Amino acid sequence: MITLQTADLVRILPEIVLSIFGILVMVLEPFVAAAQKKLLGWMALLGVLAAATATVRTSFEPGLAFGGTIAADEFSIYFIYLFLLTAGLVILGSIDYLERNHAQHGEFYALVLLGTVGMCFMAASTDLIMIFLGLEISSISTYILAGFRRADRLSNEAALKYFLLGSFATAFFLYGIAFVYGLTGTTNLLGLSARLMEPSQWTTFARVALVLMFVGLAFKLSTVPFQVWTPDVYQGAPAPVTAFLSVGPKAAAFAVLLRLFLGGFASAGTVSFWILWISAALTMCLGNLAALWQTNVKRLLAYSSIAHAGYILVGVAAGGSRGISAVLFYLVAYALMNVGAFIMVAHLSGTGERLVQIEDYTGLAFERPGVAACLAVFFLSLAGFPTTAGFLGKFYVFRAAIHSHLIGLTVLALLNSVVSVYYYLRIVVAMYMREGKTEAATVELPWPVRTALAVSVLGIFYLGLAPKLPLGLSTLAALPLPK
Amino acid sequence: MSWFTEHSLTIVTFFPLLGAVVIAFLGRDRTSSVRWVALLCTLLTFLMTVWLYFEFDSHRAGMQFEEFRIWMVLPPVNYHLGVDGLSLLLILLTGFLTPLSVLVSWSSITHRTKEFFLFLLALETGMIGVFASLDLVLFFVFWEVMLIPMYFLIGIWGHERRVYAAVKFILYTMTGSALMLAGILYLYNLTGTFDLPQVLDHLTTTSLLSPPAERWLFLAFFVAFAIKVPLFPFHTWLPDAHVEAPTAGSVILAGVLLKMGTYGMLRFCLPLFPEASRDFAPIVCALAIIGIIYGALVAMVQPDLKKLVAYSSVAHLGFCVLGIFVFNAQGMEGSIYQMFSHGVSTGALFMLVGMLYDRRHTRLISEFGGLATSVPVYSTFFLIVTLSSLGLPMLNGFVGEFLIIVGSYHSRALYAALAAAGVVLAAVYLLWMYQRVFYGDITNEKNRTLPDCNLREKLILTIVVVVIVAMGVYPQPFLRRMDQSVASILQRVEKRTLLFTERAPAGHLGAGR
Amino acid sequence: MAGLYIPVLLHFVAVVVLASALLGLSWWVGVKRPTREKLSPYECGIPPVGNARERFSVSFYLVGMLFILFDVEAVFLYPWAVVFKSLKWFGFVEMFLYIAILLAGYIYIWKKGALEWTR
Repeated sequence: MITLQTADLVRILPEIVLSIFGILVMVLEPFVAAAQKKLLGWMALLGVLAAATATVRTSFEPGLAFGGTIAADEFSIYFIYLFLLTAGLVILGSIDYLERNHAQHGEFYALVLLGTVGMCFMAASTDLIMIFLGLEISSISTYILAGFRRADRLSNEAALKYFLLGSFATAFFLYGIAFVYGLTGTTNLLGLSARLMEPSQWTTFARVALVLMFVGLAFKLSTVPFQVWTPDVYQGAPAPVTAFLSVGPKAAAFAVLLRLFLGGFASAGTVSFWILWISAALTMCLGNLAALWQTNVKRLLAYSSIAHAGYILVGVAAGGSRGISAVLFYLVAYALMNVGAFIMVAHLSGTGERLVQIEDYTGLAFERPGVAACLAVFFLSLAGFPTTAGFLGKFYVFRAAIHSHLIGLTVLALLNSVVSVYYYLRIVVAMYMREGKTEAATVELPWPVRTALAVSVLGIFYLGLAPKLPLGLSTLAALPLPK
Repeated sequence: MSWFTEHSLTIVTFFPLLGAVVIAFLGRDRTSSVRWVALLCTLLTFLMTVWLYFEFDSHRAGMQFEEFRIWMVLPPVNYHLGVDGLSLLLILLTGFLTPLSVLVSWSSITHRTKEFFLFLLALETGMIGVFASLDLVLFFVFWEVMLIPMYFLIGIWGHERRVYAAVKFILYTMTGSALMLAGILYLYNLTGTFDLPQVLDHLTTTSLLSPPAERWLFLAFFVAFAIKVPLFPFHTWLPDAHVEAPTAGSVILAGVLLKMGTYGMLRFCLPLFPEASRDFAPIVCALAIIGIIYGALVAMVQPDLKKLVAYSSVAHLGFCVLGIFVFNAQGMEGSIYQMFSHGVSTGALFMLVGMLYDRRHTRLISEFGGLATSVPVYSTFFLIVTLSSLGLPMLNGFVGEFLIIVGSYHSRALYAALAAAGVVLAAVYLLWMYQRVFYGDITNEKNRTLPDCNLREKLILTIVVVVIVAMGVYPQPFLRRMDQSVASILQRVEKRTLLFTERAPAGHLGAGR
Repeated sequence: MAGLYIPVLLHFVAVVVLASALLGLSWWVGVKRPTREKLSPYECGIPPVGNARERFSVSFYLVGMLFILFDVEAVFLYPWAVVFKSLKWFGFVEMFLYIAILLAGYIYIWKKGALEWTR
């Protein structure tokens, strides 16, 4: 006999609201005249706001739902807000982008909303099957989004690549789940940690399961050596979608990684520690070194996002409440600066994304000082200069790492961030130190885009200068995970 | 007034930034109001630093004008400002040089004027912040933030290879500071605080720090500062940055930014890691002396005036480092004095070279000759500044170098001998340069009709020369203000191994002359 | 622990051995006398006409996919029918929602014109 309590529904209220709006936007899409499709974007934004309100309601009723498969705890609520923030900024940044590229279809917004639903479920699930479902929901939406510039060959390539490698990754993850179930007889994370308490229980099979699940997630995190798809997909996908892809699924995968490696598999100890250590080191180094040679801004940002995954992994490897809260803080900082940068790139690129080379930004600073200053803030924040969110994110992550005696890894990460300064500054150099006129200077930024950019820039400085509240929230959000 | 006294350091630090904000809101075409706002703002800042200088109680050890506010709770990062004799002088120097830089750029910066002065003012906030911070993280924040305006100053208004120089400058400094950040985090992990006085307390009252850890930490901090100074093997960014930077950039770079390295050594390396400082002292002294000799020799063969001055900075900063690492009062006070006077005289040299460049758009020594007849006023100023830079008695350069040589003699006679050789070499390259540029016949016809200094330039140079002479004749007030700070730093270094027994306060030495 | 999987492994081995044995034997034992007629592709006993690589209307794929989607969803109604009594109203509401979502999809594809054969 199955019973359903209201509490269960309240605990997934944000997801329900998002789904309703997603389906509504989709069904309404054929009924809306071509000239009015913008309205669907605003409706989707309304959905995001409604979900944010619903999350407040959810936070009053924390606890497990649906037989312990979903947890509405501080951790998941933190992530839900992060995803809603990302989705909101992406929608704001997309409306005019789609208009300009003649791709104004309501499905775009529906897919963003439904993808967000999947990510929310990934972060909130405490059961491997539910995690897998969330992973699939978010993946399938993003596969389609990646190919949204239908007439563009690169976009098609991106969608196909993302789809093939993504399915491959979910297969790995599912295979890992099967192993775990075979070993322990449960897919519940709490049950798992109860059954894998002793290090002696970490047999070869258990380790294989751990590695398989890590590989599955590593594709989404784009950590080395599972990052090969990232540059092509980020380059080919429409820039606002890239903004979404580079933050949403990555953050969701980090949520799962934290729940798994520091929760269910906490007793794996050295095995998971070394997996994290090695992939953090490789990811940082390769991401940064490869980014040095890029001339396409989108590819450059793709490699930079790989490198950032490496820094965040340092925090995961550090573990403990410090490490987790640092990772959570970093993810918000990363969301703001990456989404901001990609939205700016999307709008500077003109119709059909023609202007995405670094030299297309030549002399931008003196034609459009505000635009250039904005972009400079995003890049300086990505580079980790103080007073920006990027600096404090790194600062907290490295503090946690030093606390866990990961001195070698921290020094490596710090040197890596020096390397990264070089390529982030290449764009600043082009904008400020080279003379020339650029077509990118002629683009107009409509007010929704300006709003999204303003939110990102202000957020970056807010996190960088007065981090008391966000840091408190991230510390709070780290509480539900076992230490 | 009491409100001002309580927040004086904050106001001094952020006042230039306020000016930058004002400039940001001024129209792009209103260049003259931009200039006047910049000048006014930096002058007011200078007046405030002078006020700080006179309000400073030189009999008290420890920090003054302290301000403390909680910035972040976990980890506990605080907004903690304060000055002692050491940072007071450097803040004064910053306050002094920035309005001069504004004046120097008055007519030579013709494009993107607004942005130029905006960055210059932002830079001043960063610099003062570095000297005033007493929290390790706050210090690091200012230390890094200050790089960005300097980077833009070099990169936008520099000469031909400006982008290369700007990127090299920022990457070198950031490599060092990355290591320093690791060191700061490690220290925090040991002591649980980023507050410098508290960290010092923890390290002196407990034995948290094992000798190998102390040595690693010393290196992490020291390399960051050594790159900034720059000490001999880390100096390669300096000639590029100096040569490519606009005049004001060079003045600030030589005058203030390089001092951040030596300041950091005095403020962090020595007090935090006394044992390691002693362990590494011979190596550091050797590097400093190599820097002195090498800088002088390379300066001698430079065909480019600005490069010559740049390499002379390597040599002069070698003196500063040497003075610090001989661990006695004379050496250290001499070193601090030398920081200040190098800021004034090398800053002035860069201004003079800049003025020449504005007229001729070249800095090659071979292009000049016989300028003494065509621009007599300029030549006179140049001579005085050159003499001050090579350490002529009665001028400012002498006091610092003399004290450093005396100090190093106490430590090891060989150091003193080699350093003195450096002084001789400085005389050689500076006077030889002066002779080639100003004496002889006018070889290039373009030099015959050069206009001499205008009123603005005369004003700048007169101020500088007055300071040069005043500092050379009457160094006592400056030395008195650093006595207590130097004594407390030395006390830390010598606490366990009392090697050096004679501890006459150097103030008396200064008074003796 | 790993011993439990040995039957599975044996099963794999048996499958591989049996399958390859059957195929290999028939190939080895069988008599091969190829003629022109024997080698031509089998097309319901009628001689093949035209090129096999012909272009199909994309509508075939679209309809095919849509058919599979709705067909598979319909399969879920069977297990519900089996436990209909024990699920009571809860099951009814759940299934209603499920079909409502399907219906939304159906309206969407209908309005989008995915079911129009000629456009």
